[in-house]
Amino acid sequence: MLTRLLVALAVLGALSSPAVATTVDETDIDIKTREVAKTLRCTVCQTETVWESGSPFARQVRENIRERVEQGQSAEEIRAYFLSRYGDYILMQPPARGVNWLVWIGPFAVLIVGGFLLYRTLTRWVTSTPAAPQTVEPLDEASRRRIERELLS
Amino acid sequence: MTQGWKIVLVVGLLGLLALFYQGLWGNPRLIPTVLIGTAAPNFTSPQVGSSEPLSLDQFRGKVVLLNFWASWCLECRLEHSNLLALNERFSQDQNFVMVGINYQDKEEDAQQYLRTYGSTFPHVRDVKGAVSFDYGVYGVPETFVIDQQGIIRCKTIGPIIGEVYANYTQKILPALLAGSGDAVRC
Repeated sequence: MLTRLLVALAVLGALSSPAVATTVDETDIDIKTREVAKTLRCTVCQTETVWESGSPFARQVRENIRERVEQGQSAEEIRAYFLSRYGDYILMQPPARGVNWLVWIGPFAVLIVGGFLLYRTLTRWVTSTPAAPQTVEPLDEASRRRIERELLS
Repeated sequence: MTQGWKIVLVVGLLGLLALFYQGLWGNPRLIPTVLIGTAAPNFTSPQVGSSEPLSLDQFRGKVVLLNFWASWCLECRLEHSNLLALNERFSQDQNFVMVGINYQDKEEDAQQYLRTYGSTFPHVRDVKGAVSFDYGVYGVPETFVIDQQGIIRCKTIGPIIGEVYANYTQKILPALLAGSGDAVRC
């Protein structure tokens, strides 16, 4: 039984190895194309990169990037080309300039201001609660006797 | 915290949300093009139904109306008769020319479209999308107007119908043909 299992596993391993080989067999052109395509937005699908999208627009952009990589253009040159044609919108990561700064620092500003407001509100809640008495008033004689009576009864 | 600061905070938060919303889900076709006032990129492409190439450079010195279209585009059908009317009206001026750019289409479908709806000006095929990338095209129809100095003066997204068509016939094209393109507003 064990032998059969081992043989089956060996056969499966042999069959799967070519598939693994083709998956990792990327050329430099493929890698550079992917790197650039992942940074550009598919403008007709809005929240996908041209690498992820299956739209005709994204496919043509990928082909165009590949051609430019094959011509020896750098990733920055290719990005600069698309930026010059489509503006900032084509970039998945908006460049840190002008109004875009708000997008970069806005979440941190919200976190800091929100944290400060939360701290201040909690502090106010704590200080507005009446403090516990520091000393305990001594029990008067009448009350002490009454407690003793009730405990004994 | 004073009432004033609370208002500032709420307005700031809403502004930030609006910015993120516009960036992530806004319509890219409403974003103004960065190409107005820049030199129109040249192209040399095969014509629809012919192997003879056509180049933008051969029209330098003229006002050129470039229209990106496709046979599968319904809005393109809406504007097609207006494009033919524009060409009929302004092509009498030797300084005017119209060129169609067939976008993401099959050539036989493009030819059939032109046979069905008519064609009075040349059309080229954007085989690999290179021309539409050069012009920052998001979809079809999109129309560009290039002045006699080869500068892009106007871009229209969507069909040239109604008020847009009237603006072309009454303001944009007459102004550019008269050489006063600086006043053009699309």
